[in-house]
Amino acid sequence: MQHMTAAPGLDRELKKGSAELLILSLVEDQPRHGYDLSKLIETRSGGRLTFRVASLYPLLYRLEKRGWIQGRWIEKAGQRRRRYYRLTTAGAKVLEAQRHTWREFVDAISRITGVEHA
Amino acid sequence: MPEWPRRINEEMRQHLDDEYAALRARGVSHDDAMRTLAGDVEAAASLRPRPVDSLTADVRYALRGLGQRPGFTAVVMLTLALGIGATTAVFTVVDAVMLRPYSYADMDRIVALAETTRAGQTMSIAWQNFQDWRAQSGVFDALGLYRPMVVNLTGGAQPERLVASLASADVFRALGIPPIAGRAFSRDEDGVAAARVALVSERFWRSHFNASADAVGASLTLNGEPHTIVGVLPEGMRFPSRLTDVWLPLGLFVPTFPADRGAHPGLFAIAKVKAGISIEHATAEMDTIARRLEQQYPLSNSEHTVAVVPYYEQIVQNIRPALLMLMGAVAFVLLIGCANLANLMLAKAEGRQRELAIREALGATRWRLFQQLLTESVLMALGGGLLGVLVAWWGVKAFVASGPSTVPRLDLVAVDLRVLTFALLVSLGTGIAFGLAPALRASAVELAAAMRDAAGSRATAERLRSLLVVGEVALAIVLLTGAGLALRSFAALTAIDLGFDPSRVVTLRVALPNARYPELPRWIAFHRELAARAAAIPGVEAAGLNSAVPLESGGAESEVRYEGQPLPKSVHEDATMCLFQAVTPEYFRAMHIALVRGRGFGAHDTADAPRVVVIEQSLADKFFGAAANPLGKRIAFEYSGGHGPMAQPIWREIVGVVGHVHHYGIADEPDNMQVYAPLEQLPIYFRERRPNMTLFARTALPPESLVESVRGVVSALDADVPVFSVQPMAAYVGQATEQPRLNMTLLMLFAALALALASLGIYGVLSYIVGRRTHEIGIRLALGATRADVLRLVVGQGMTLAVGGIAIGIAAAWGLTQLLRGLLFGVSPHDPATFAAIAALLASVAFVASYLPARRATHVDPVCTLRAE
Repeated sequence: MQHMTAAPGLDRELKKGSAELLILSLVEDQPRHGYDLSKLIETRSGGRLTFRVASLYPLLYRLEKRGWIQGRWIEKAGQRRRRYYRLTTAGAKVLEAQRHTWREFVDAISRITGVEHA
Repeated sequence: MPEWPRRINEEMRQHLDDEYAALRARGVSHDDAMRTLAGDVEAAASLRPRPVDSLTADVRYALRGLGQRPGFTAVVMLTLALGIGATTAVFTVVDAVMLRPYSYADMDRIVALAETTRAGQTMSIAWQNFQDWRAQSGVFDALGLYRPMVVNLTGGAQPERLVASLASADVFRALGIPPIAGRAFSRDEDGVAAARVALVSERFWRSHFNASADAVGASLTLNGEPHTIVGVLPEGMRFPSRLTDVWLPLGLFVPTFPADRGAHPGLFAIAKVKAGISIEHATAEMDTIARRLEQQYPLSNSEHTVAVVPYYEQIVQNIRPALLMLMGAVAFVLLIGCANLANLMLAKAEGRQRELAIREALGATRWRLFQQLLTESVLMALGGGLLGVLVAWWGVKAFVASGPSTVPRLDLVAVDLRVLTFALLVSLGTGIAFGLAPALRASAVELAAAMRDAAGSRATAERLRSLLVVGEVALAIVLLTGAGLALRSFAALTAIDLGFDPSRVVTLRVALPNARYPELPRWIAFHRELAARAAAIPGVEAAGLNSAVPLESGGAESEVRYEGQPLPKSVHEDATMCLFQAVTPEYFRAMHIALVRGRGFGAHDTADAPRVVVIEQSLADKFFGAAANPLGKRIAFEYSGGHGPMAQPIWREIVGVVGHVHHYGIADEPDNMQVYAPLEQLPIYFRERRPNMTLFARTALPPESLVESVRGVVSALDADVPVFSVQPMAAYVGQATEQPRLNMTLLMLFAALALALASLGIYGVLSYIVGRRTHEIGIRLALGATRADVLRLVVGQGMTLAVGGIAIGIAAAWGLTQLLRGLLFGVSPHDPATFAAIAALLASVAFVASYLPARRATHVDPVCTLRAE
């Protein structure tokens, strides 16, 4: 269901987990809307990571359903309304856990491959 | 495949739009941007949303959309509020006057009867003729006789004037109105043996008897005589007028009716035609009876027949043309409004084509898109309708408060459930009308075409929008022409010399109770004294009395002859009719009526002095020729010994000639000549039927400031004399011009609205075209076109639309103003000056409306536009 173009070779679970991690991290500081999220992922990854529309929004929906993020429609003058997502307390815990797992994972990979930074 | 909430679609749509905008901003061409997005669109389209209640969703979606464009929404709502409000307001009046059922049973069988000459001049019914009609006709279930009158009610805290009517028993049968308490009149009460009884209105019953059951059997002192109340008539009884409070039986008045069949003592008939008999049939039978009477009584009845008019017709015939015209006018305003809104919606729909295309790609069917767009316009129309009801409510309130006396059933004019239903239907219809074309167009947009921003589709839209503007300009021209004609007509009407100067004259009518002033000398002395005392009030320049009131119509009419006039060969040949009035000496001076020759009346024109008369100029011209001196010649308008060859004229010497005074109205006066007799030499007719005299006091002050002191003079003379119709003379003029003024004011209002909407339409379309052509204009400027060229290009385009609309409008107005002929005075429905002025007006407004966007076009920066591409 998800189309995430990332470094090949990562397994499905990992891809899924990493996508969730990316989103949770990006909404940690401030609420963001979908387009904003997709642009940030694209620019900060230097264009290496991009989300397809048809996978980003269902993912956001699932994260919201799990109670990790919460969306809210916000209207600004002269603009169409947008749905802004923010991190929930539950989401913050998940983010913390996932960061930890990811760090361990990267750490393990580095030890094996001798590469310092992923 | 899971189902996703609908909001996901909205988010994805926005995402794609943002992406498109970002690509374009980076200089990617439209086609390339669309190609880049194609994959995403396709993938997004594969997500099927969870079905939801579509109407709720549509309404929510539409409301959100409207809230995001407050300016647009406000313009739309305002246009709708004015259009629907005006339509609803006029409908409220039309409904109350013409459509709402009457409280009388079988209204379609109720007819009003009057005597009329075969030439069509209507008059009241001779008592003797009525008796023969009743005896000989077989087409009526009931044939009632009535005469509106006023009576004095005394015995209460202060004397009151009551609107009353004499009525035969059949009046109530014809109308099918049973009393709510007591009984109506019986046929016995049509005879001279009738007791002094009375019926009263429900309103009177409430105000004077607190709706008590004891009212029936109670006694009222009317015109100084006690009358026993025998019944109370319900609120629905509004005959002869809605103000009638008292009905008196015919029998009481029979002894006062003239014995002469040629006299027409103000009686009229109301009847109910038998079921199954047509009004034509009834008319034919009455004509047969009239012909029989004509043979039997040629002196009084030759050339007379009977007018049988459906009562409903009689009520509405005077107001109907004006109401229909106004209904047409507001319909035009609403149509122009719709055209404007359709234009706005078209423009908006085009801006949304890509959004719609994406939505369609995401699985919305065209039907859904169509529904959604229509929901939006219908919602706006309902909102506008709601505001419109407020506008209508306020308008109707103002209209009723202005108290137009020419509108029947005015008291029933109110915004009620019927009106609200009408407003709802009009709003729905309007919403569909202005939303349909744009919704159809937008929902039928080809995905591919929209993605390519097809130039062809845009050209069609531009053509459609231009057509709408041409249409609204044409409609505006028709309305403006109608308003222009009404204005000219009104100006012509008010420019007429009335023959007197109504400004700063206060009038007041007194009704001397016969019982208190039975002897003529006392009756005359009262009025003489009243005139003298009124003249002595500080600030009064002159005060006089007259038995008639200019512009009020009605009064005592008779045939007038001059001494030595050859005897007529037949009764009706060359009869000159006159209106005779009894006046006090200062009347002419008080009213500023021009004395052309001779003198007015003086104190020496007493009852014992030689009988004198003042006549109007045109009578002098008719009898003696313009060159001759009429002074000293004698005329007669009354006869002793009845009508016919045996009648002896009562001669009066002409001592003065005055100018014509408009008596019957401002326009369309019958050619009755006016003659004046001194009050002291009261015409015989008035000795038997004492008129209510009206005082006319000319002042140096505002007339309103004198009302109290003039009233005081009457009560000082006799506190039991009721005073009524206290008003400035200008109020009579106001009443006489009320209908045309109302027509003009409302037409002008609607026309102004139409003009504003039409110019807004031109402005809107040109702004749109200029916006669309920025690029083209930029290229033209870059290629060396001057700003004047651009100005000319855009203004030219606007003026082409305007001229097209004006031409069509003039042609339509040429045909439609024909329908106004009956409402116009002193101006042809094809008045070239009005047509030219209106065309010029619209052309200049169109010029300004085109110039503004054109000037914006000249500010296009060619470099910027080219770089943007």
